[in-house]
Amino acid sequence: MSAQTFKILVTGPFAAGKTSMIQSVSQTQVISTDVFTSGDESDVKSHTTVAMDFGTYGLEGDDTRLLLFGTPGQARFRFMTDILKGDVDVVAFVIDAEATETHAAAGVELRALLRDLRTPAVIAVNRCDDVTVARRLARSLGALDGEAVVPCQLIDPDSGREVVVEILLTLLASMESSKAEVA
Amino acid sequence: MQEVKALADGSRSLMTDGRQPLSGTPSDPSLTWTAPSRARSVMPPAPASSSVALAAPVAAMAAPTPSTGPSADPTAMLDELVETVEDVRAAILASVDGFGLARSSSMSDEASHPAMLAAAIGLARQLVAMGGGEQLRQLVIDHDGGLMLVWPLGDERVLAVLAATTVEQRRVRSFVQARAAWLSRAAS
Repeated sequence: MSAQTFKILVTGPFAAGKTSMIQSVSQTQVISTDVFTSGDESDVKSHTTVAMDFGTYGLEGDDTRLLLFGTPGQARFRFMTDILKGDVDVVAFVIDAEATETHAAAGVELRALLRDLRTPAVIAVNRCDDVTVARRLARSLGALDGEAVVPCQLIDPDSGREVVVEILLTLLASMESSKAEVA
Repeated sequence: MQEVKALADGSRSLMTDGRQPLSGTPSDPSLTWTAPSRARSVMPPAPASSSVALAAPVAAMAAPTPSTGPSADPTAMLDELVETVEDVRAAILASVDGFGLARSSSMSDEASHPAMLAAAIGLARQLVAMGGGEQLRQLVIDHDGGLMLVWPLGDERVLAVLAATTVEQRRVRSFVQARAAWLSRAAS
């Protein structure tokens, strides 16, 4: 991988950890559109993304760059996902393992997104340390067997980097498989 | 406030009522979108024709508006804007996190409308930094069907006014400015 820029769509339900992930891994100042929450959502957290988050990640000694585009999580902001999802190379789908009430809708969303984009996905299962639990959850959401699943604690910056590593590996694998198809 | 005087009598009394809870609150910096003094001095006095045009809707409003005042609901205020300022078609009040708080009766109820306003203002605030500024005053969507003027009201709310291109922006602004502090915290 060299001299290449890849677009990563970071999406998933409200309060899953998307903004935290981008903020923890970005090497440039994150462009974020956080505002105060209101109503019931203010019981869950104080701020929420209303348009997008934007961060970047580059590999040292390599020209590979990831552009991370984070979406808002709530259904009312679906149009932002539609705007941001063009030409995406990998979908990073973030889900909070403990927020079980979000899982059903997240599954519908993930399946629709993957059907639509036909890009590989990395499922980041936040607030989860157990690979088996994370895999089971990812499968229940409709992730395919080959999809990368990362249990993580996105409150911890190192954990965000593990997700980025999976994204890079997924990119590498998809490039190799497309090369194989050409050959 | 000279513009206010240009409005017909009926609407002036509404203004006075609507302004009561606002006294002494123009300190909020996000409300300082007043047109630059250059524009202000260039403004001609309101043409006679527009006063005539205003007379009808204002008279029509006079009866059913005992609701204006501190307890007025924002929907009535947005309807008043549509009815009193020529070429204004609709208005929406939303929270910065994308919930609809009020809309004029002329506006359909679409969950995505307040969400789009929140997203647009969120992004516009970042674009202000790109432009070297610190505070977003106004967002203008100028399109083939008209104009959309979007203002942040304090830290928590957004107001969008949909109008024809021919609208006198100065009048919309003075109407909104007189009520901005109230709209920025009125109960939905």
